[in-house]
Amino acid sequence: MQYTENNYARRTLGFVERMNQLNDYDLICREIENELCWYGLTSNTIMKIPGPMDNLADGIFLNTRPTEYLDHYVDQNYLVKDPIITELSHTVKPYSWNDIRQKRRLPKKQKFIIDEGREFGATDGFVVPIHTMSGELSIFSPCGENPDLSSQARSSLEIIGMYSYEMLKRSLIQKQKDKITYKPLTLREREVLSWVAAGKTDDEISTILSISMTTVACHVDNAKHKLGAYKRTYAIVQAIKLREISL
Amino acid sequence: MVMIIRGKDRKEHQEYFDQLFKLRYKIFIEGRGWSLPTKQGLEIDQYDDEEAIYFLDLNEERKIEGTVRITPTEKSSLTADYFSHLIENGQSARAHTVYEATRYIVRPSKRSREENRAAKSRLLSALTEWCLKNGVESIQTVIDSNTLPTFIELNPKVRPMGLSYPYGGGRQNHGGGDCMAIRWPISQEILECVRIYGGLDPTKDLNNPDFVTSNNPSEMIQ
Repeated sequence: MQYTENNYARRTLGFVERMNQLNDYDLICREIENELCWYGLTSNTIMKIPGPMDNLADGIFLNTRPTEYLDHYVDQNYLVKDPIITELSHTVKPYSWNDIRQKRRLPKKQKFIIDEGREFGATDGFVVPIHTMSGELSIFSPCGENPDLSSQARSSLEIIGMYSYEMLKRSLIQKQKDKITYKPLTLREREVLSWVAAGKTDDEISTILSISMTTVACHVDNAKHKLGAYKRTYAIVQAIKLREISL
Repeated sequence: MVMIIRGKDRKEHQEYFDQLFKLRYKIFIEGRGWSLPTKQGLEIDQYDDEEAIYFLDLNEERKIEGTVRITPTEKSSLTADYFSHLIENGQSARAHTVYEATRYIVRPSKRSREENRAAKSRLLSALTEWCLKNGVESIQTVIDSNTLPTFIELNPKVRPMGLSYPYGGGRQNHGGGDCMAIRWPISQEILECVRIYGGLDPTKDLNNPDFVTSNNPSEMIQ
């Protein structure tokens, strides 16, 4: 396939192609981060705009803004005051922070909220509103120090944002599904794990069940693997949740 | 029930076509303010020819609640004629196995999210089934760039053919906006995606389709 001379189009179509090869959440995040770097966009948040009953943190698909900044943002309840967010009720089209600074005569307090981005080096940013058929509104919101937000860059970022959102959503749904469909534990694995939960050491369990300590460890490892747990304690929590064992 | 009519059978289905062209006038000329050729309150263009295939989603009163037109790009392609600048991936807008979808409308009389999804899915699964049976390998279309998320949500194989560009004076103008060309491959897998999206049975056999063609009008009301 022969691509156009347009560097932005070539990059963006290549990005979409690469994204479609990926299923893993972390790899998708890395791919998005790399692509945005080219535009000078060093931080990014992709999140669902929460309804009145929703928790903001539950709707975050991806965030590379500093966590302290995000905590501060939530503490101050900026979501209802930030002109970059309130603009969403006026438009379905993408816009930049500078568009809002120029378009709306902002009170000092609101201007201050946008300017606080400078604390982590962001002078301008871009927002792509994403309206889905399921009726949700999400945003793709990268920012950085003097990023490239030329008209071609905007056109590219709109497509990058929409694909990033959808691919992240798919990988998160898959992750959720993988958690639910696990291989059930065997009778012996349940027995061993119940004793672990009761606070017994491998040595004690091997005596109780008249099996070797290696076998005990092996059953615990298998159970951990099936439950997607790195630690014994987490395996016990998962096993209780899934009603494999009870205390 | 989705009914499929070939452009060459237009005379035999004049009532449906009158209804269709009026609906298109209402949506595209009055509603969206597009500047298209019209004739006495009907919206008809040069692609409404014998080769065109029409998908009509009819309610129990035989009123059109959704529709889309497809044309063989080798002969009729709006993208090739007016929007060739949207293609930046080096592909040709005209190809033997590529059809183009235009004049897409979904407006179920019962308006809800679920109804919208089901209606969209009914129309697109009939289109996909027809394409599978008739050897069409891909569908291309020009969309308003704002609607890209709904296309990717429905079908992850949708690919942009280039970036988005203003039409009709851009987003600040009534009748204008940003548009882009997209293409997606036709396959059994896509048909399943489209059916699942609308809550339809994904495993339904192709020999027992979701549509009737105009040759069997007696089967039409179901």
